[in-house]
Amino acid sequence: MSSRYLILLAAAATAFAQNQHQLDLDSFEKVWTTVRDKHWQTKPGGLDWQAIHTEYRPRVEKSASPAEARAVLQEMLGRLGQSHFAIIPAAIYSVVDDEEGGPGVTGIDLRILDGQAIVVGIDAGSPAEKLGVRPGWQVLRSGGRELKLIIDQARSNSAIHELQLTRAVAARLTGPIGGTLSAAFLDGAGKTIDLNLSLTQPRGTLSAFGNLPAQHVWFESKKSGSSAYIRFNMFLDLPRVMAGFQQAVQDCKPCDGLIVDLRGNPGGIGGMAMGMAGFLVDKPNQRLGTMYMRDTTLNFVVNPRPEVFAGAVAVLVDGLSASTSEIFAGGLKDLGRARVFGTHTAAAALPSAFERLPNGDGFQYALANYISEGGQPLEGLGVTPDVEVPLTRAALLDGHDSVIDAALGWIRRQKTP
Amino acid sequence: MKRRVLNFALAALLSGITGAFAADPLPSAESILDRYVQVTGGKQAYAKRKAEIAHSTVEFAALGIKGTMTRYAAEPDKYYTSMDIEGLGKVEMGVNGQIAWENSALLGPRLKTGIERAEAIREGTMNSTANWRKLYPKVENQGIETVDGEECYKVVMTPAEGQPMVGYYQKKSGLQVKLTSIASTQMGDIPVELIASEYKDFGGILEPAKVTQKTGPQEFSITLDSVEANPVIPPGRFDLPPDVRKLVEKAPAQ
Repeated sequence: MSSRYLILLAAAATAFAQNQHQLDLDSFEKVWTTVRDKHWQTKPGGLDWQAIHTEYRPRVEKSASPAEARAVLQEMLGRLGQSHFAIIPAAIYSVVDDEEGGPGVTGIDLRILDGQAIVVGIDAGSPAEKLGVRPGWQVLRSGGRELKLIIDQARSNSAIHELQLTRAVAARLTGPIGGTLSAAFLDGAGKTIDLNLSLTQPRGTLSAFGNLPAQHVWFESKKSGSSAYIRFNMFLDLPRVMAGFQQAVQDCKPCDGLIVDLRGNPGGIGGMAMGMAGFLVDKPNQRLGTMYMRDTTLNFVVNPRPEVFAGAVAVLVDGLSASTSEIFAGGLKDLGRARVFGTHTAAAALPSAFERLPNGDGFQYALANYISEGGQPLEGLGVTPDVEVPLTRAALLDGHDSVIDAALGWIRRQKTP
Repeated sequence: MKRRVLNFALAALLSGITGAFAADPLPSAESILDRYVQVTGGKQAYAKRKAEIAHSTVEFAALGIKGTMTRYAAEPDKYYTSMDIEGLGKVEMGVNGQIAWENSALLGPRLKTGIERAEAIREGTMNSTANWRKLYPKVENQGIETVDGEECYKVVMTPAEGQPMVGYYQKKSGLQVKLTSIASTQMGDIPVELIASEYKDFGGILEPAKVTQKTGPQEFSITLDSVEANPVIPPGRFDLPPDVRKLVEKAPAQ
């Protein structure tokens, strides 16, 4: 009887293993086919992609475990020699999945600084502001969970980028609108503060664009001394954001400088980078860069507007500045039209997509190549600021945004003879 | 087609026969284009059309984006098109005499130059279908290809300036069902393919009610909803918008 039971158990285990093995094979086919059909080069990475199939398929067939199959897939993608082709293990992937979040927010903008979740901004009138949360505070726990554990776990895998990690941690501060969230903070004096934060609508106006889920988009501009400061959270809601940008530039005719703050901006409609650059570049036939797809090459050309801002331009970026933000910042930097301040960008300038594979792993792949006007690909390399200025907890606690301070200082020096 | 030519050459060599085969001669490109004018209404119908306003719906199905398009055109070479696309705002373009321009919420105003300008001016020619002789100094029938299961003549139309257009005209109906070209744009040369279908009578001229256009990586459809034949065009409709006029004043003479 017990022997029969063991046989049944062994059979079940074998069936499970065979099922998992088939899922790994299906995942291999999905990855291989996706690269064949969607890579911007007909010979992906200059390789004979059919020969790659012949070489790697038997190795996945022989793999003894999901980890082994994954390693074969990663090696195959590595042969492309290109960034943004990655396999993310299911276990790690689940760390960055937003399983418990929701549309409601607390009004806190955070970044991961030195492995800690640090408040870098608070929306005016938000629940967090009302309860006295300050820039520089560390978020220790959310909903009873230690954020450091999530951060450490995600940082242990190089496939998880700063952009994904920050989004994943920020998602822990979301929930249903109208609900509350318990969170623990460490303030500037080293004191732990427990708060129950209300969850409200995100800042901005809900904006739809085709099949993209509707997004809350906000735009702000203000004068800061003899400079103007522009910030918006996404390159979306085109009519409103472009009109706001145009108005801010026109209002700044007598300004010494213009600051465009793209920190935290994940991009959006690529063409908006060209449209905005047209307010800042007066020479015709200038390009921000070139996008290469399988059948088409698109030059990101700038049309100088009838009235162009002639003063100094500073663009602020960080590890969450991606895609269109990188095209804008990198292109203006390469044209010598802007000085870039902050930290290295996300290096995700392309329409790269994430999909889940049949075996549960994640698969990231890029669809095109983008070369900035300076000759460097943004994908994988990103934009390196002219002036590296990291945000620090100490400066934030002191009421300073060191990146804005650096940009303002540079603009002032441009005016000084 | 190449294979058919090769077989003919081989057969000719083996049999010692020289000269053209009389059995299935290809019609001239000129006759195909004239037939297209004829089957879509005839020269007289086009001659009567002095101006028009066309109302269309545009859809980028893969992106989930829709919009509307209104095109005003008048003899001899004026047009103005206004598109309103969800999430992208207004896009205007036009030709007034020798000035071809575009203005959008996205990229702002600009003047078209070079080949792009020449293409826009060709596009702005009223009744371009009937006026093909003026627009394409060289036309050539390159043979027969199948489009959507139907045999079509493949006619290459070469303009004085710019890339050739390749039109596919059904043997059976004479209608143009496909057009390919390389569009010269500010962003670069982009392959364009148009598939025309559902021809309908719009004020005495047959026009495709549906055109599916592939432009580089993008695909969209244009549904022609209605055409006003010889309407009263609003005064100043073809005038340059103020921002475009500013660019003309700044630009060197073309």
